[in-house]
Amino acid sequence: MQRLPAWLRPHLAAIRAVAVLTVLLGLIYPLTVTGLAQVLFHGSANGSLVGGDAGSALIGQSFTDARGVPVGKYFQSRPSAAGDGYDPTATGASNLGPEDVVDILPGPGEPGRQSLLTRVCARSKAAGELEGVSGARPYCTPGGAGAVLKVFPGHAVSVNQPCPTVPFVATYQGLRVECGRPGVDYAAGRTVPVRGDAGAPAVPADAVTASGSGLDPHISVAYADLQAPRVARERGIALERVRTLVAEHTAGRVLGFIGEPAVNVLELNLALDRS
Amino acid sequence: MSATAAGALFVASLVIAVALLHRPLGDHLYRVYTSARHNAAERGLYRLLAVRADTEQSWPVYARGLLAFSVISVLAVYGLQRLQDRLPLSAGMPPVTGHIAWNTAVSFVTNTNWQSYSGESTMGHLTQMAALAVQNFVSAAVGMAVAIALVRGFARSRSGAIGNFWVDLVRGTVRVLLPMAFIGALVLVAGGVIQNLSGTHEVGTLTGGTQAITGGPVASQEVIKLLGTNGGGFYNANSAHPFENPATWTNWFELLLILAIPFALPRTFGRMVGQVRQGHAILAVMGVLALASVLLTNAFELGGHATVPRAVGAAMEGKEVRFGVSDSATFGAVTTLTSTGAVNSFHDSYTPFGGMMTMANMMLGEIAPGGVGAGLYGMLVLAVITVFVAGLMVGRTPEYLGKKIGPRQIKLASLYFLTTPALVLIGTAFAMGSPERRASMLNSGPHGLSEILYAFTSAANNNGSAFAGLTVNTPWYDVALGLCMVFGRFLPIILVLALAGSLARQSPVPEGAGTLPTHRPQFVGLVVGVTVVLVALTFLPALALGPIAEGLS
Amino acid sequence: MSAPVLEKPLARTGRAGGLLDPRHLLVALPDALKKLNPATLWRNPVMFVVEIGAAFTTVLAVLRPSFFAWAVVVWLWLTAIFANLAEAVAEGRGKAQAATLRRARTGTRARRLRSGDAAEWDEIGASELRPGDLVVVEAGEIIPGDGDVVRGIASVDESAITGESAPVIRESGGDRSAVTGGTRVLSDRIVVRVTQQPGESFVDRMIALVEGANRQKTPNEIALNILLAALTIVFLVATATMQPLAVYSKLVNPGVPDSPALDANGVTGVVLVSLLVCLIPTTIGALLSAIGIAGMDRLVQRNVLAMSGRAVEAAGDVSTLLLDKTGTITLGNRQASEFVPVAGVGEGELAAAAQLSSLADETPEGRSIVVHAKERYGLRERDLHGAEWVHFTAQTRMSGVNIEGRQIRKGAASAVLAWVREAGGRPADEVGRLVDGISASGGTPLVVAERNRVLGVIHLKDVVKRGMRERFDEMRRMGIRTVMITGDNPLTAKAIADEAGVDDFLAEATPEDKLALIRKEQEGGRLVAMTGDGTNDAPALAQSDVGVAMNTGTSAAKEAGNMVDLDSDPTKLIEIVEIGKQLLITRGALTTFSIANDVAKYFAIIPAMFAAVYPGLDALNIMRLSSPQSAILAAVVFNALVIVALIPLALRGVRYRPASASRLLSRNLYVYGLGGIVAPFAGIKIIDLLVQFLPGMS
Repeated sequence: MQRLPAWLRPHLAAIRAVAVLTVLLGLIYPLTVTGLAQVLFHGSANGSLVGGDAGSALIGQSFTDARGVPVGKYFQSRPSAAGDGYDPTATGASNLGPEDVVDILPGPGEPGRQSLLTRVCARSKAAGELEGVSGARPYCTPGGAGAVLKVFPGHAVSVNQPCPTVPFVATYQGLRVECGRPGVDYAAGRTVPVRGDAGAPAVPADAVTASGSGLDPHISVAYADLQAPRVARERGIALERVRTLVAEHTAGRVLGFIGEPAVNVLELNLALDRS
Repeated sequence: MSATAAGALFVASLVIAVALLHRPLGDHLYRVYTSARHNAAERGLYRLLAVRADTEQSWPVYARGLLAFSVISVLAVYGLQRLQDRLPLSAGMPPVTGHIAWNTAVSFVTNTNWQSYSGESTMGHLTQMAALAVQNFVSAAVGMAVAIALVRGFARSRSGAIGNFWVDLVRGTVRVLLPMAFIGALVLVAGGVIQNLSGTHEVGTLTGGTQAITGGPVASQEVIKLLGTNGGGFYNANSAHPFENPATWTNWFELLLILAIPFALPRTFGRMVGQVRQGHAILAVMGVLALASVLLTNAFELGGHATVPRAVGAAMEGKEVRFGVSDSATFGAVTTLTSTGAVNSFHDSYTPFGGMMTMANMMLGEIAPGGVGAGLYGMLVLAVITVFVAGLMVGRTPEYLGKKIGPRQIKLASLYFLTTPALVLIGTAFAMGSPERRASMLNSGPHGLSEILYAFTSAANNNGSAFAGLTVNTPWYDVALGLCMVFGRFLPIILVLALAGSLARQSPVPEGAGTLPTHRPQFVGLVVGVTVVLVALTFLPALALGPIAEGLS
Repeated sequence: MSAPVLEKPLARTGRAGGLLDPRHLLVALPDALKKLNPATLWRNPVMFVVEIGAAFTTVLAVLRPSFFAWAVVVWLWLTAIFANLAEAVAEGRGKAQAATLRRARTGTRARRLRSGDAAEWDEIGASELRPGDLVVVEAGEIIPGDGDVVRGIASVDESAITGESAPVIRESGGDRSAVTGGTRVLSDRIVVRVTQQPGESFVDRMIALVEGANRQKTPNEIALNILLAALTIVFLVATATMQPLAVYSKLVNPGVPDSPALDANGVTGVVLVSLLVCLIPTTIGALLSAIGIAGMDRLVQRNVLAMSGRAVEAAGDVSTLLLDKTGTITLGNRQASEFVPVAGVGEGELAAAAQLSSLADETPEGRSIVVHAKERYGLRERDLHGAEWVHFTAQTRMSGVNIEGRQIRKGAASAVLAWVREAGGRPADEVGRLVDGISASGGTPLVVAERNRVLGVIHLKDVVKRGMRERFDEMRRMGIRTVMITGDNPLTAKAIADEAGVDDFLAEATPEDKLALIRKEQEGGRLVAMTGDGTNDAPALAQSDVGVAMNTGTSAAKEAGNMVDLDSDPTKLIEIVEIGKQLLITRGALTTFSIANDVAKYFAIIPAMFAAVYPGLDALNIMRLSSPQSAILAAVVFNALVIVALIPLALRGVRYRPASASRLLSRNLYVYGLGGIVAPFAGIKIIDLLVQFLPGMS
């Protein structure tokens, strides 16, 4: 040991250190914590399962049928970007930017891609239809696409409205507005999102946006309130009863200021099923 | 209460908690790193390591030990990933691809915890526990060791030694991180974070489908991911995932874990140099920058000035309902200010200026308060540069804490200051220069540019968060970002240790009326100003073509 | 041998010396152009980058000429030339001084003695002299080299180096033995032992110094250069890496036409170089060496020669100042202020005795007694016949007179009292009390006695120079501790120290005590400055960080110190410290200014480059500059002009008023930091208003 060259000595110590610390921090520590957690907090340590293995109270679910159509008797969760929706093995967000407003229109040999704005508009329209309210939002066309123009010297194009859809405005600052043709490159035009005259939207923000995890177990109180009449109707129970259950499954801000009030959708739906 | 008011109270409560905690924790750290006695467990560890714990090391010896330890760590993490299918607790995962394994190994060893993989579909439980979580501990301990070595350089006089790396490593781990992590892990489990060794568990959903509920030793890793300002999530969704951050109050607790040590170290610094007020000044610089950044990020996110947030009515894309916009923005600011890189919301979908804040936080050089240890030494290097320019203006050879800032110190500090911006900008330029690398962008236009700029900023500053739309698990990005992480971590460390050595050798100059006082608000303001101006000047062109262009459109 | 007629080369040319005369610029222009040679310019990394940029844009302008491109090219070259101009102007002033000095040196012949006491000599050239050679110099001849007088006494005209026309006495032995090569003996004949190596005479070194020929960079200058180089690299990286980003930005906005600033290949070369030159710290980079040269020059103007720039810088760092009491804090001589008779003796009797004993005393103290007796008691000087004068010796420590059977003595109390007792007198205790009282008040008591009777005590008082207390208060505010060095006893020393307002004193100081004090201060990390002239000061001068030797002092002292004060004025130390500080402050202030300037330049250039592709960025054009071209040109022009505008400041140094570090910093931050941010906004806007009318600016 003493006769080792000087440059090698720290490496031997390093190998020993990595090995020893791996055993201590990588095995003894987590296994001890696991043991204690399993004893002290068995439920939460194993995923807070609820409803007789119907899911985890912490993990959101889709309440849609096999075709992806919302099941009316259930409160609906937020849109999800995790896999095909609420897939815990593929968590994550859409990662689309705040100015992602131009779609790639589907065409021959081109699957197309919806911009975040169009997704928001489409979700808003769908939710509005489901709940029987207006799905209109600023920057959205009545058809549920992003109201975005590409402006050229001689004309303008509503790029998110594929032909033959009629553009949401006929003219823009005197320029004729055309519908978008798939496969045409509109990059040279100036991008102009058009706010339109929609007032405060009836569909709340969380209903039209995907969460960060894709597993958000909550919806806002506003979105729950929006859905309550439909659920009551579908289930044939009193709206008041549904509202009471919503209130029971609403977690307010801790200490009055930590976090935002949120309604746990799975637990609410379980409670509805039970009642 | 409005969401804004609640968000403000949330920030205020964190400030108070950090203020209450920094003193006892800072004093504890002071005792840990200055005590002459080894406890029984440590003596046992030193015997196992076969190191002489009572000898002090010169800076080159200290650095050699640190580098050797890091090289071996990279090999160990790489090996465990590549062999995970042949080891127990693999949860059925195949071996990790070579370039991803390399990237992940350097990422965790450098305290970056950039993830070019998705945890739930790539890493087995053993890899998470014995490779990744172990590095969460020791990379943080290494960061603290380097910071303490630099502080010793200021505190000592006419000494060739800056401490003993093995002792600093072991003490930081055993006396600080391990006990805090142990308690923190149990708190998190109580809040709903899972801690088991199961595989995935199929449940039947209410509408007749199935859902795979994942298992794993999450809490034990989650806590050190935050406490050590590492940031590498067990899951791809990181701290947005309900199993990592289930409740609103765990969100608060996780932020406190992130901020605890970085904000306590200035106190340790003050104690070690024998002037607590010097620690206060450093703390004030960190605090001012951090608070300004948190408030600005909140303002931008709550303001929601961009087309999609305006259409939505709030910047809710990529954010969880339970956290809301404000607590998410606070987390986003804190995680980028601290070199943590954990996220509870996805920065790629932030408003242009909100997203720019997360980038700017990292561009500050991770100093406000920065990563565990790394923040303090980065801040001290900036203080050295500030002292130099300001010191000239009072007509004396600049000195900081009685140590003269001469050519050698400025050379080391300048190189330190050069390293990270050069890595960020050169890396970004190389990526932007090639169409196939640009193809990794998810978003187009200035936002796509921001994704790449963010990636290199994050890697070179050892943060690890991302504008996650960028597809980075390609060989080019894995290698390039890996190199940025390595150079962004170890070049500064070597420079800091050399600086520590050069300072320790000096005998201190006594303070007088002609000495620039470095504990007054004036100096605090000056360091803040120098930092902001230098960072702005360096990165403004790149930011102008990314988030600023997007935000002003 | 004809001695060259010398004008006064180093006469004080006025403290304002930095005010720039346009003629200086013109005279320095050829030198400035010569300095464009890359082989010399590369030592200044900032300006070297400017030059490469200028050369590169010249090529671009040749290939694709446009008015805009050529305008930028011209101003980039001007930037480099202005920087060289600053240095050339600073050097120019030194060169004129060197030329006169050089004339004093050339062609001198020396008569070297063949052996120590021989009368024969060889006539050789002054340059052949070696240390230890003995040369003889007679009236009218030029002393051929630095050395010490070993035989004889002579009056010497040293105006060649000091500018002081009054001749000085140089004699063998003692502390006035040093002579300097190039000075002229006016009377008598001396033998000088040469102490210099050939080519290293005092005048040689002076020439090298004022010319700045082998000017060594000082530590702070090196450190600052490193920082500037690092900033240059940062901005180089920032601008170079911007290019792929610019290309991409143009690519994703295909509808935007090419502009003079941006096309499909990215930002055009001319604009990219403009941005780079505007960002790198050209202001301080251009003026840095001029500041250093001018600092030395300011010392020379005050007749102080620093042997290295390092010493000047160290002067700014001094935290302990050792000052000799006599000549520095007090007027050289003590003066009689009072005659205190013992009981039973009238004041008049004492005054008369004191006067009598001092009539032949030519020391300043003795003369002051006579004067005091005359002014206060109307006693006229008398012509005494048959008086036997007793002169002061180190053994007797008294002087006096024997006349008409009376023996009157005055002197140190112990000596006089012993003399009185010897004659059987029994001095009253009162004498002791009087003596102690005077000592305690800082005075020097001289006891006057007539054989066996003590008459009284003369109170000799040290007169502290006017204004010293204020200067020491200033020093204290600057963080400098003043220590008075004196041979007086502690009691006297304390009284004077209190009166003068110094922080501390070292009483009954021997050269060893002085050296020990310096070492002690240095061990505590303090830098020490002192003045000295005697050979026995040499070790302390060598040990101190700033050792100012008096030009009247010995060669040993001059060799040991790192500065020589040609005026031999010990209070000069205070000015030296201020010049050292001013030097550093000027560097720091201009660095801050330079970096602060960049903020405005970004606001000018970034929108100019990119507002075409991202119209929103026009919001950054807060100066509302008229067009991208005029914005860029205005920034470049401002960047160049600010160098010229600041040359006077660099040469003069920023205003320095002694104050605490905090207040100094606040003031300089406001002026140069805040000013540095604001000034270019105004400057660039004004230039833009003018250049927008040039062709090709829209």
